[in-house]
Amino acid sequence: MPAIDLITVIILYATSLAILLVGYLTAISSEDIIRLLIALELMFGAVFMSLIPLFSLCANVSFAIAILTIFTSGGELLVLIAAIVIQDRRKKDISTSSITIGGDNV
Amino acid sequence: MNEDAGKNRKSYIPDAQNIEPMNIEMLLLIALASVTVLSTLGVLLSKDNFYAAMYMSCTLVMVAAIYAFFSLGPVFILLVFVFVGAIGMVTVAIATTYRHEPKRQFSVLWLVPVLLTAAILGYSLYAYMSSAPAQVQMAEYPIKFSIENFITPEYMLLFLALTSLVVLLMLSVISIYRSES
Repeated sequence: MPAIDLITVIILYATSLAILLVGYLTAISSEDIIRLLIALELMFGAVFMSLIPLFSLCANVSFAIAILTIFTSGGELLVLIAAIVIQDRRKKDISTSSITIGGDNV
Repeated sequence: MNEDAGKNRKSYIPDAQNIEPMNIEMLLLIALASVTVLSTLGVLLSKDNFYAAMYMSCTLVMVAAIYAFFSLGPVFILLVFVFVGAIGMVTVAIATTYRHEPKRQFSVLWLVPVLLTAAILGYSLYAYMSSAPAQVQMAEYPIKFSIENFITPEYMLLFLALTSLVVLLMLSVISIYRSES
């Protein structure tokens, strides 16, 4: 079984950071809500990636955090998917420019 | 006093004979991480949402594969079944349903602060690695995880509470959806 050393930790965190930054960039550049949903899932992927080194220190707690993250992301994505469907029904448009808060375009 | 400090400093310098060549496991990890980052870039650069969702699923499968690389089977199963199997496929289905004329969704202006952040964090990682004591660099921590040790009443309670909350969330989402229609 591969062990966790400093080089492994750096590879894992660098990959996690790259996924997170691409997720941020995708979210900022997104022109429709589906791309926003995809960006959020990427960010959760980065969270999962950064959890791996923690398993070498306290495995049970790390697994609990992983389950908590899966439930959190599942619930959050469920709400976002419902929001996409409702937004399409109301406005027949899923672009981010059609989303308004208090009359202002987001 | 100064001699002692000098001796301590000397012990932190990595010995060239102790540095092991890159083994096959490390190369495999680097390959998996590279494929993960490349498929993430595919999400950013693809015009069509359908292909972006496919690349996203590929990224999550690769993250799960890295868990499998470290012999963390239960997390691999959870990620593949829940994330890629359920949520990823729903995202692919939605991206296919609401398909419209594909256009590039990539902002070059926002790339500048993102690259700046990456450079700062990369430098801090490099600085940490170069200043880390040799003992820390050589230390290896094995992963000792088995699902049997995890099944305790405390964690079962956490699992049940989370499941109940998700069921409540699903019911409220269905309620909102019905009231809308």
